Amino acid sequence: MKRTYTTAAAAALAISLTAAGCQSSGGSDGPIKVGSINGITGLFQTPEVPKAVKAVFDEVNAAGGIGGRKLELVSKDDAMDPARASQAARELIKSEGVVAMAGSSSAVDCGLNRATYGKEKIVSIPAVGVDPSCFTSPNIAPVNPGPYALTTAMLYYASETLKRDKVCIDYTVLPGSGGGIENAIKEWTNLTGKSLAHKNLAVGQGDPTRYLVADKNAGCQAVLYNATVAPWFAQARTQGMQNVDFLLAANSYTDANAKVIPADMNAYAGTEWQPYTDPTLPGNERWAKLVDENGIQKTAFSQGAVMAADVFVQVLKSIKGDITRASVTKAFKDMKPINYPMAGSPWVFGPGGEHSPIKGSQFVKADRGGWKVLPGGFTVPTKK
Amino acid sequence: MVNSVIAGLTSGGGYALLGLCVVLTYRLVAVVNFAMTAVGAMGAFVMVSLTDKGLNVWPALLIGAATAALLSGLLGAALVRWFAGHRERTKAAVTVALYVALTAIGLRLFGGNSTGAHRFPSPFADPVFTVGGVVVPQSVLVSLGFALLITLAVGLMLTRTRLGLKLQALSERPSTAEVVGIPAPRLAVGVWAGVGAITMLVIVLVAPRLGGDYATLAGLISTALAVAMVGAFRSLPLTLAGGLILGCLEGLSSSLSSIQKYQGVVPFLVILVLLWWRSRREVWDTAHSR
Repeated sequence: MKRTYTTAAAAALAISLTAAGCQSSGGSDGPIKVGSINGITGLFQTPEVPKAVKAVFDEVNAAGGIGGRKLELVSKDDAMDPARASQAARELIKSEGVVAMAGSSSAVDCGLNRATYGKEKIVSIPAVGVDPSCFTSPNIAPVNPGPYALTTAMLYYASETLKRDKVCIDYTVLPGSGGGIENAIKEWTNLTGKSLAHKNLAVGQGDPTRYLVADKNAGCQAVLYNATVAPWFAQARTQGMQNVDFLLAANSYTDANAKVIPADMNAYAGTEWQPYTDPTLPGNERWAKLVDENGIQKTAFSQGAVMAADVFVQVLKSIKGDITRASVTKAFKDMKPINYPMAGSPWVFGPGGEHSPIKGSQFVKADRGGWKVLPGGFTVPTKK
Repeated sequence: MVNSVIAGLTSGGGYALLGLCVVLTYRLVAVVNFAMTAVGAMGAFVMVSLTDKGLNVWPALLIGAATAALLSGLLGAALVRWFAGHRERTKAAVTVALYVALTAIGLRLFGGNSTGAHRFPSPFADPVFTVGGVVVPQSVLVSLGFALLITLAVGLMLTRTRLGLKLQALSERPSTAEVVGIPAPRLAVGVWAGVGAITMLVIVLVAPRLGGDYATLAGLISTALAVAMVGAFRSLPLTLAGGLILGCLEGLSSSLSSIQKYQGVVPFLVILVLLWWRSRREVWDTAHSR
């Protein structure tokens, strides 16, 4: 008898779940389901991102939702596993019936799912775009400049603001991203007419001395670097490179890294938004208040999460009539640019075949175990 | 290019030490231990987690070494208890399985390290002298000295002491050793624990130079095996030389832009070339002797 009850209950649950899935893909009542794919476990971890997106959605829901409907975030962990990332996108679109993707932060989502997003006519607004496909797809528009636009900005800062003649680059490049970095370097050359003194896009694990010695041999005055910080600076110091300016990519801009940089070394970091280490900067007050109230870790990634959720909500509020996948996609393709003070340029989705709306970077310098925000605001590369 | 080769040489001492640990395990308990660096890294990360929490470095180092010794000893005990009569390849497979499991657990526990979350102490970073354009820090001399010490001490122990004789007997014929009264299982577990602790110390020594990521440190096993291969899993002096050669090759490969992208392949190429070279005169059905 007990077994019969259990079976019946399971069947009822299954039916109700299926019904919920069918309803939510485009109905005019019930919650508005929004999907996101995040790295919660695995090598690329951003657990604070879905928490921050949810905090924004909770705020909107507390104020009555959008057109009386609540926002519901459905976040899936892909553990940086391609199979799980593809599966997550299929589940979110087919079973959960999400109207859009917002606040994704995965190292593999864009490349794997760009075709699916195109086929299903759904838009994605990642909080953190990582691979080149995030910036070259018709249905994806991240809220961060990403590693490529950031590399151009860092090169530009080294040559134009710091006035270094011999600029070099030592990068670890993810498989498939090499072309993106090469294009970023070309973009800098087009803008400034300058070229690199030394380039290594195959910096591997292990003792960094050999890469640093190559930089010394090339006479590098500024070096762009994007991998593990502590051994790099320890060895650079041993090699006597105190007069070289090292420019770190956004992934190295953390409180812990500031503490491992020796006091006599010159380390700058290019940030993707207003530096998160100073909560009083324009746009940061809202983010700082939100993450503080919700007990979320303060990181640059959580800034992206709040920005992605905010611009998503703003566009959703502009929709007249039913909020469905089709109406949401149309609203993003037709939208006007949004000025968001936390970023270096206005954010817009628009109708184009590829989207990389955020340009420019703010620069910070390692100073006594922390990061000091440098004057000058955002550096947005422009033609000389 | 010469400077790059010298720069590579600076990491050779660390590689030599790891290769020596592999050879030591193989010579003493006849197992190719793929889990060695993963076990050592586990101990190293236990230590770093404790120092990050404010514990003094010495007790933390001791606890970390004890953790690695315990883990390695447990692996040794399992191999002695359940796989004593099995072939070497089965025992190696057990250690491969453990390597995979430990790497997954280590990554989950300690995460990636590009954020600088874990900091390894670096007491030997001060420069000693300069060769060409390369500044050589103390840590290079410490690694080389440690490697030389292991090579000499273990060589002498194996050939000149009673314990060495017993250990050799244990490795060559474990069951016969037990019959003649050598406490083989206890001795074997002791060797495993000892190698575990030494590996942990080596990992702590090389971590500040090589990066503090768990996966990176556990993955050093491929380099260690390539180095051990140079010494044919037997010769300690050749293994020492192998570490230095591999370091130089890495330095050289990173300085040539045409092969820069493939520098990670260097250890595997060394393994392949040596396998081919060593087996060139062998014919089918020849009994392989260790």
